Amino acid sequence: MLDFGRAGTLDPGGASMLKLEGVSVRFGGLSALSDVTLSVGSHEVVGLVGPNGAGKTTLFNAISGLVKPTGGRILFNEVDVMRTPLYRRARLGIGRTFQIPQPMHELSVRENLLVAQRFGTGQVDRTRLDEILDFTGLAGKAGCDAATELALTELKALEVAKALATQPKLLLLDEVLAGLETHGKRRFMTMLKELHTAFSVGILIIEHDIETINALCERVAVLNFGKLIADGTPAQVFADPAVIESYTGAAHA
Amino acid sequence: MKTGHSGALLGLLVLAYGVVPMLWGHDPYVMSLLVAALIIGGVALPWALLGNLGGMVSFGHSAFFGVGAYTSAILSMKCAVPVSAAIVLGGVGAWLASLVMLPVLRLKGPYFALAILAYARIFEIIATEWSGLTGGSGGISSIPTVPVAFGFDFGSKLGSYLLILTIVLLFACAYWALRRSHYGIALRAMRESEDATRVVGVNSTLLKSMMLFVSAFMTGIVGAFNAHYINFLEPDYAFNGVWVMLPIVAAIFGGYRTIVGPLIGAVVVYLVDQLIFKSLLPSGHQLVLGALLVAMIIFSPRGLLTLAQRPFRRRQHA
Amino acid sequence: MTELISQALYSGLLQGGSYALIALGLALVFGTMRVINLAHGELVLLAAYIAYTVESSYGLNPIFAIPVALVIVCLTSVAVYFLVGMVKVDRELNSLILTYGIGIMLSNAMLLIWKADVRSSSSSWFQEAFVVGPLFSMRSELLFFAISVVILVALWWWLSRSWYGRALRAVSSNRDAAKLMGIAPAYTELVSFVVAGVLASFAGVALYSYGVIQPAYGNVLTVKAFIITVLAGVGSIPGVLLGAILLGVAEALTVTLASSALQELVGMMLFLLVLFVMPSGLFGAVRRRG
Repeated sequence: MLDFGRAGTLDPGGASMLKLEGVSVRFGGLSALSDVTLSVGSHEVVGLVGPNGAGKTTLFNAISGLVKPTGGRILFNEVDVMRTPLYRRARLGIGRTFQIPQPMHELSVRENLLVAQRFGTGQVDRTRLDEILDFTGLAGKAGCDAATELALTELKALEVAKALATQPKLLLLDEVLAGLETHGKRRFMTMLKELHTAFSVGILIIEHDIETINALCERVAVLNFGKLIADGTPAQVFADPAVIESYTGAAHA
Repeated sequence: MKTGHSGALLGLLVLAYGVVPMLWGHDPYVMSLLVAALIIGGVALPWALLGNLGGMVSFGHSAFFGVGAYTSAILSMKCAVPVSAAIVLGGVGAWLASLVMLPVLRLKGPYFALAILAYARIFEIIATEWSGLTGGSGGISSIPTVPVAFGFDFGSKLGSYLLILTIVLLFACAYWALRRSHYGIALRAMRESEDATRVVGVNSTLLKSMMLFVSAFMTGIVGAFNAHYINFLEPDYAFNGVWVMLPIVAAIFGGYRTIVGPLIGAVVVYLVDQLIFKSLLPSGHQLVLGALLVAMIIFSPRGLLTLAQRPFRRRQHA
Repeated sequence: MTELISQALYSGLLQGGSYALIALGLALVFGTMRVINLAHGELVLLAAYIAYTVESSYGLNPIFAIPVALVIVCLTSVAVYFLVGMVKVDRELNSLILTYGIGIMLSNAMLLIWKADVRSSSSSWFQEAFVVGPLFSMRSELLFFAISVVILVALWWWLSRSWYGRALRAVSSNRDAAKLMGIAPAYTELVSFVVAGVLASFAGVALYSYGVIQPAYGNVLTVKAFIITVLAGVGSIPGVLLGAILLGVAEALTVTLASSALQELVGMMLFLLVLFVMPSGLFGAVRRRG
């Protein structure tokens, strides 16, 4: 069980590693994110929930650098990263997985991690690579072609492994459990529970399953139509009528 | 490296450095054929490198060839730069030319290929019009040859052969080292999954730029060497489409995914073209080359030499 | 000075008509098959050489070459289509190299048959000056501009009204959806190659009638067509016409104000300028990944 002995979100050692201040993203006439203010501490596990299309993946894209916000600020360890290019954010410590796994083609699993480690940290540490392979359960598949020889569970594990290889300080997990069957889900849950202590990362995790959020996260943020409508402990948030309404729709009000 | 491969490579080296000079070193005709073939190979290899590692197919390598040639010729004639240094500077000149092409990198596939072609035409037109510097369409003549060094005349036919052979082999080594390096691994992944590499910290734009630089530099050196070998340059020659076509045919014939493929392809294709096709069709012999290219793309896009290797590979995996 | 410039504008405008035909042929094929036919310029040149043969060997006005050119060039275009269809691996890039090779075959074949000399029409009827106010042109220039406009209008009508035309546009925008609706992409691709051949035929005869040709010119034509496609965006016929006129005018102005040697340079510069500054083309959307 994760240790939540430290109270609140501000940790004297970590402070707020990631700070989003009034971040907005517009695509043409569509407002994908409006004025989102959120912070994640360096040792926190924060859940990000909301109905489909609420803007969760867009938020991840903005943080990792795939999308440029039209307003607001993104501070990572007190540094404004809005102008920092995608690849440099990875080196700064922002790691990210994709909902639909994107392995590096024409490379083996091990090579995937090697590239991630070499370019994400500037060095190669084989022992650490092996540790990550073990941790994510990919040790047996290290030599397999990443794009063609892995099952879905393994591809998802590779997503996490790749991100871990860059030695992130912040890990953005985008629906890693989606599409997995029960056995795979259970294995992943165990892995996710140990992730944040084993690798000292702050985690921001998008998931749909409330049970998962309850089990993993000490805090939850809720997005709806691009706006942040709640931010607190799981107990607080899931009892909030606004949150319930966003999931069930006004028809049930 | 597999033992079968290193044995074959050693054999080729012995053949190239030992047997060939012994048998034909004093035959100017054979030597000139081989030098020309190796020059083609020297463009085919960087072309293939750009395609394989950089993921970019270029129809404009004649730009680098011509710029390298002119840079070296002008420096050696107007600035009294020694020929060997001028050749290297020819490579630098081609590298500078590629800097201008950087914005084109973000284009994909056909747009890149044709944009580079546009650049090649631009450089050719500049070379023709800026006659004060380049001698215009009349060209430059009496370009100095490579001098004697360590008691050996590198300007002679045999000397030129050995020099271009060494240059090309050095390129091959550089290519091999690059491919095995971490950059090479990242570049391999970048072909089909560039975003995945960027998300883990790979500066994909920088890596691709470096491949363009390396390819340009190598081609420029070969162009420069050629200028000092034939001692004459004019825009129509230096930027001719043949420096685009022959290397492409050579690389695809020999297998553009391998390192030695383009080189072996160049020797075979050039010799066959000069000895057989040209005697059949003196004025349209390139037609056969075009047909060969078409046939290869349809039936064996990975190159004809790789076809020959297949039974060999099957045994290894058995 | 203004007379020179307005004359250049006028000549450029007239030239734009043929350029538009050439560019459209390239764009249609690219739209349906995502393949740039690097041999397209050679198809145009083939039509031009057929016009030359009709005039020099049979003494007829090159206009009569059009039916012959239509048959031969369309057949060649269809042959290219079948060859492209045989490319299995790495379609997009390999077909580039394939059509490049076909282009080399065609230009060398033309070199063999018609030799390297520069040719142009000797028809006096064509070359007679036709004056419109202060602006002058050869009769052939004006005639073929009119023909080009008629063809462009007909093509526009056909693409927007007929079943084939709509199928062509459907395959262009979404191949899989088109298949689901019962459209056979292969058939529409074939049609686009045939239409490209038709356009090339007219452009080629026009080219011979008021310009000069030689076997190496095919490459230049393909590049010009590509430049116009990028200028205009692979979207609209009016856009292509405007882009073609823009190129024609830019070239004419360069010849008038600077020198004829820089003519090609201006096209290249325009091309690069648009690629970097306005990647969606001037009038439409250029589909580029990444």
